[in-house]
Amino acid sequence: MIITEDNEVDIFVASKIGSFKHIKYHTDHSKNSKKNIENLVDIKTLEKNEGITRLEWGNPEQTEILIGRKNQQIQVYDTVRGFTKSYSADFAPGEVVGLGRCQRKLLAAVSSGVVRIWSKKTEDIVQVGKVDRMRMCADDSTVFGTGGEENDLKIWRIGEAAPTFVAKNLAHDWLQLRRPVWVSDLVFLRGEGGRLAAVCSRHGYVRLYDTRAQRRPVVSVDFENMAATCITNSFDERQVLVGFGRGQLHQVDLRGGKPDKGYKGAAGAIADIAVVSGTRLIVSVSLDRQLRVHSHASKELLYHQYLTSKLSCVLVQTESCTPLSRADAELKEEAEDAVKVEAEDPDELDQLFDGMETVGEKPKKMKLKPQLEEVPVKRNKPSSEGSTSLQEVDTEDTEDAIKKLLRSTEKLKKKRDQKKREKKAKSVFHNA
Amino acid sequence: MARGKDKKKRKLEKKQEGDDVPKQVPHTLESLREKDETMLANVDDEEKLEAQKDMELDELSSYYENSYEPKVLITYSDNPHNKTRIFGKELCRMIPNSISRYRQRSSVKRIVQSALREKVTDVIVVNENQKQPNGFLLIHLPNGPTAHFRLSSCKITPELRKDYKEITNHRPEVILNNFSTRLGLTVGRMLGALFHYEPQFRGRRAVTFHNQRDYIFFRHHRYEFTHDGKRAKLRELGPRFTLKLISLQQGTFDSKRGDFEWIIAGRRHQMETSRRKFFL
Repeated sequence: MIITEDNEVDIFVASKIGSFKHIKYHTDHSKNSKKNIENLVDIKTLEKNEGITRLEWGNPEQTEILIGRKNQQIQVYDTVRGFTKSYSADFAPGEVVGLGRCQRKLLAAVSSGVVRIWSKKTEDIVQVGKVDRMRMCADDSTVFGTGGEENDLKIWRIGEAAPTFVAKNLAHDWLQLRRPVWVSDLVFLRGEGGRLAAVCSRHGYVRLYDTRAQRRPVVSVDFENMAATCITNSFDERQVLVGFGRGQLHQVDLRGGKPDKGYKGAAGAIADIAVVSGTRLIVSVSLDRQLRVHSHASKELLYHQYLTSKLSCVLVQTESCTPLSRADAELKEEAEDAVKVEAEDPDELDQLFDGMETVGEKPKKMKLKPQLEEVPVKRNKPSSEGSTSLQEVDTEDTEDAIKKLLRSTEKLKKKRDQKKREKKAKSVFHNA
Repeated sequence: MARGKDKKKRKLEKKQEGDDVPKQVPHTLESLREKDETMLANVDDEEKLEAQKDMELDELSSYYENSYEPKVLITYSDNPHNKTRIFGKELCRMIPNSISRYRQRSSVKRIVQSALREKVTDVIVVNENQKQPNGFLLIHLPNGPTAHFRLSSCKITPELRKDYKEITNHRPEVILNNFSTRLGLTVGRMLGALFHYEPQFRGRRAVTFHNQRDYIFFRHHRYEFTHDGKRAKLRELGPRFTLKLISLQQGTFDSKRGDFEWIIAGRRHQMETSRRKFFL
C-alpha cells in the first residue's frame, strides 16, 4: 500500500498520572518524530489522584475537550485557547466515569452511580446504580447510557427520571446458573439515532441491544476468558472495535455475531480506542504506555510511540485540526537554525577534512615523526622513504601539520572521554 | 605462520600504546543489547521528569517515602511438599516481619481479602509442581500491582550444605541490580518493597536481586570487610533461586478480569524479536 498524500491527524492522549498530551501524527512516516508530541499540562504540578479517567469531546466541531479526573475535577480544554473552565463533581463519591454535553448542559457521572446534569439555571440528579461507564449518544445528544458491575445497560433521556430502556440478562445457561453481568464499556452505534447500543464486559462478551425489538440482547458474542475493557464504533455498519485486558484488540462483526479481525502489537491492556474515519486508521492506547496506530484493512501496525506514563484515554480530532502550540515558535527557530547551519556547514566540513588529513597524509606524517616525539598516533612503522625526504619539508608546513596533529589527538581524547561518560551513564550501578 | 606473526605484531603494538588506549569491551548479548526507548538512561529531561513523576505517584511510592513498615505473608499452593515448605520458611527468615501460613484451600482473592484486614502489605504465593517450587506470585497491597514470576533453580539451604540457623534476625540490605527499563524498575521496586527500608548494618546481611537477560537471580550473603577495608569477603547463606517475569497486572490478583500492564503469554513470537532484546 502506498500512501501518496500526507495526512495529519491530531491525537489527544491522557494518562493515569494526569498528563495530557497532543500528538500530531503524519501518515507519511518520515515526518513522525518526538517533536510532534507536546505536553498540555505541566508535569511538575501533578499530584496524587489527578489521574485522568475520562476524555470526551464537548462539541461537534471538536474544538472543546472535557476532561474528568480521579479527584472529581472536571476541566474544559479548548484546543485553541487552552484550559478555560473547571468544575468540581463532588456531589457523590467516586471518580468521574462519564462526561457529555447536551446543548448548554453538562453531564457528569461518578462511579458511585450518580449522574448530574448541569445548566446555568437548573440542576438535575439521576441515580443510576454503580457504574463503570456513562456515554452520550452521538446522534441524539439527549440520550445517554450507563452500565457497570452487576448493573446492566440502561438508556436514559435527559429530563426523565426513569430509564427509557433497561436491558435484561440472557437466560440461564445449560447448568441453570445465572450469567454474571459487568458492563465495562458501551457505545451507541453510529447512524442509528440511539436505537442500537453495544456493550462489552469483563466477563468476556460483547452484546448488541435493540431498544425497539426486545430487552434481551439481539446479538451476543462470547470471548472466553478475555476481559473486554473498551469498545468503540468501527468504520462500517454494525461493526465495533473491542479492546481487552490482556492486550488484544479485535473488530467484532455484530451482524454475523463473530470476531472479525485482530490487531496485534500491544503488551498491556488496551485502555481506549479511537478511529480516524478518513484514512481508516485505528488509534489505541494501552497500559504498557504505548500509543499504537493500525491500518484497518491490512491490520498492520503503522506506528507506535512510547509516552512515559500509563495511558487511559485517547481522542482523535477529525472535524478540525489543531496546530502544535510550539510549532509557530519552532518554525521561526528552524528558519534561524537553517541559516545557522548554513553558516556552520563549512566549519564542520573543515573539521571533517582536518580529521581526514591526518589519515590521508600518512607519508607526510611519517616524515615529521623524528621532529615530533610526543605524537601518540603512530601505529604504523615508518616507511623506508621517509628518512630521505625530511629536508624537503618547509618549516611553515611542518608547523601547520603539528597543529593539525595536535588537534586530531585532542579530538580523539575527547571522543574517548565521551565514550567513557556514556558508558558510565549506561552502567547499571549508576542507574540502580 | 602469518597469523602468528600478526599476533606478535599486535602484541608489540599494544605494548607501545600502553595504558592510553581503553580496553575493548567484549561483545556480549548485554553489551550489544537493543536500544530500549523506555530506559531512563537514554531519554531527554522532560521524559525523565515525567517518568519520575510516574514513579512518585504509583502504588509503591508510599513505601519509598518510608511511610510504613512492610509486613509480608508467605503462602503456598495446596498441600506443599517438604522442599516448598522449607523454602517458604527460609524466605520467612530472610524477609523481616513476615509470616508463613498454609493455604487451607483458600483462593488467592480471599487470601488478599484477609491479608488486607490484617494490614499485610505484600503477599507471596509460592506454587509447586512435582515437589519443586516453580511459581512465585507477588501481590502488593492494598492496590496492587501483582507480579507473576516463574521460579526456577531453587536451592534451599540443606541443598547448599548450609544451615538455616546462620540466618540472623537482622534486617538485611537489599541490592537491586540491573533493572533498567521502565518495566524493570517497577519490578525492582516491587521486590525492594518486601524488605524493611532501614537495614541493620550490624547483621552484615545482604540480599541481592540481580537481573541478567531478564532472569532475576536471588542470592543471600553475609559479608565481612577485610582488614584494609577495601574488599569484602562473602559467605552465602542461602536460599538461592531464579525468577523470570511472566506478567505484571494492575490491581490485586485477578488473572481473568484484571488489566495487565505487561504480559508475554500468547505473543512471545511478536515480542521476542531478537536475542538481544530484553524487557527488564
